[in-house]
Amino acid sequence: MSAIVAEGLTKHFGEVRAVNGIDIEIARGAIFGFLGANGSGKTTTIRMLTTLLKPTAGSARVEGLDIVAEARAVRRRIGVALQEAGLDDLQTGRELLTLQGRLFGMPGAQVRRRVRDLLEIVDLAGAADRAVGGYSGGMKRRLDLAAALIHWPSVLFLDEPTTGLDPASREAVWRYVNQLCAEDGITVFLTTQYLEEADRLAHDLAIIDEGRVIARGSPADLKATIGTDVVTVRVGGPAEALDRAAEAAAAVPAVERVQRADGAAVVYVPNGARAVARIVLALDEAGVEVGDVSIAQPSLDDVFLQATGRHLRAGEMPADGGAA
Amino acid sequence: MRTAATVWHLTRRSLREAVRQPAQEAGNIIIPLFFLAVLVGAIGPIAGDSFGVDNFMGFQVPVAILSAAANISVSAGLGTITDIQRGYFDKLLLTPAPRSAIVLGRIAADGVRTLAITALIVVVGIAFGSGFDAGPGGVAVLLLGSFGFGMGYSGINAAIALRTGSPQAAAAGGLFFFPLIFLSTAFAPKEVYAGWLEALATANPITYILEAQRSLIIDGWDGLDLLWGGLATLGFGAVSFTLTFLALRWRTS
Ligand SMILES: Nc1ncnc2c1ncn2[C@@H]1O[C@H](COP(=O)(O)OP(=O)(O)OP(=O)(O)O)[C@@H](O)[C@H]1O
Ligand SMILES: [Mg+2]
Repeated sequence: MSAIVAEGLTKHFGEVRAVNGIDIEIARGAIFGFLGANGSGKTTTIRMLTTLLKPTAGSARVEGLDIVAEARAVRRRIGVALQEAGLDDLQTGRELLTLQGRLFGMPGAQVRRRVRDLLEIVDLAGAADRAVGGYSGGMKRRLDLAAALIHWPSVLFLDEPTTGLDPASREAVWRYVNQLCAEDGITVFLTTQYLEEADRLAHDLAIIDEGRVIARGSPADLKATIGTDVVTVRVGGPAEALDRAAEAAAAVPAVERVQRADGAAVVYVPNGARAVARIVLALDEAGVEVGDVSIAQPSLDDVFLQATGRHLRAGEMPADGGAA
Repeated sequence: MRTAATVWHLTRRSLREAVRQPAQEAGNIIIPLFFLAVLVGAIGPIAGDSFGVDNFMGFQVPVAILSAAANISVSAGLGTITDIQRGYFDKLLLTPAPRSAIVLGRIAADGVRTLAITALIVVVGIAFGSGFDAGPGGVAVLLLGSFGFGMGYSGINAAIALRTGSPQAAAAGGLFFFPLIFLSTAFAPKEVYAGWLEALATANPITYILEAQRSLIIDGWDGLDLLWGGLATLGFGAVSFTLTFLALRWRTS
């Protein structure tokens, strides 16, 4: 049985088509990445799958249970950490986790043990009896994660779990997600706008754009669909220069495809290292002012670019850890 | 069973929240007591001669109790809105707990808070000469009634909070209390009112709740007054809970 199956899952808010017919099937025990830019429909999809929002059309099952007809049973099996850590400033971390456990029907002694263990795991034991209002952003994220795990869920939903975290905290979340999946066999459904996060963490990936899945597969398979290296040539001068550059590059032997994006010609060619000299020469002959040139293996951004004609803009993780 | 346990855990959470905001709780207590003192100071001396109420303190204690209930419920409505805005309400909805019980937890806490403030107001009233004719048993009945009214009134603000999610709307919801209390027998027996006001006061359930509480304080046991007061409290609660559950259904669909 698959952990999650969605068929034609759709949510419209009046005129806004937030999610527009999503079909996905996610194997048990996998880390599934849902990659998309701001406003692409990631959160709306998660809110439907976690029973917080009723679909306009389509259906979905989580652990074989219908998200509308069997919503209560679905909630017993899933843990959810939403994009904005939903916490209560006036309770202490321990009180908040304890209440959450009790609402899942866990008996008192069991809740006490579980809360103690989780507080250790997310490194909040020292702050457990302080009011949540005084926690830092990173501490709130970790408390939220602990709250999502209180009842040993079999499917964990994480909506942008590392947005706004510093690199060390981000690594910690990645490590922890990997551990949950490897040791406890939990299925993880995780959204992100970071290419690197999707690449490093997800076993299986869907790229979402304007409420639709535009690419699907493992990161390696997706990148393999590009089939070539990617030579990116920055072009100076007027916009018209970029058109000339693209034309000239396309005429170079072995070049399969050229795409224009953000003042650069993106050239798809096998064996980029060998082709780069010929490309630069051709552009020079066409009278184009050539700026930076780079050769790379295809990235998920190239997959995104190929499908949409745009870069995944928010895709660069802030090196200093500030929110993008 | 799950419902009772959920209500219990969330009632405790809301009471903890109230205790941790002592300034807000103090406001809920002080404002009704202030009005009580001013009204009794201004009108008390002439109340006996003008409209035959000799024990004006006893006459006004129930008004203070009802205003305290209204204040408490506005602050609880704001609490619900904070939960919604912070996303904590979603976290509660993500548990398998019955959703109506999640809302009832806070409403029950309002009942408890109203009960506690009522006890305080009764003590202050007695200290300043209201007496309590029905004795300790009467105090118990009054506390029980105020618990019920506190819950019923809380439903109104819970409904506004769930339907709007807006702090402005919640604050405006507090104004709802003014017509309810002014168009009742809050300040004088309705016999001295103008005809139109007397008709409105007769139709207003608050009148019967006030009269039942007054009967316990001033006259001792009066079965009929208590019966009407109890029915009015139940009716009021039935309407407000219906609104609450409609608002909850709207929010979660
Ligand atoms: N309650 C709502 N009412 C109206 N429109 C909404 C609502 N929720 C989401 N939308 C719209 O639906 C679209 C998808 O939003 P969603 O929050 O799912 O995107 P997202 O991929 O999670 O974006 P982000 O990366 O910014 O979190 C957006 O255009 C958003 O404005
Ligand atoms: Mg989102």
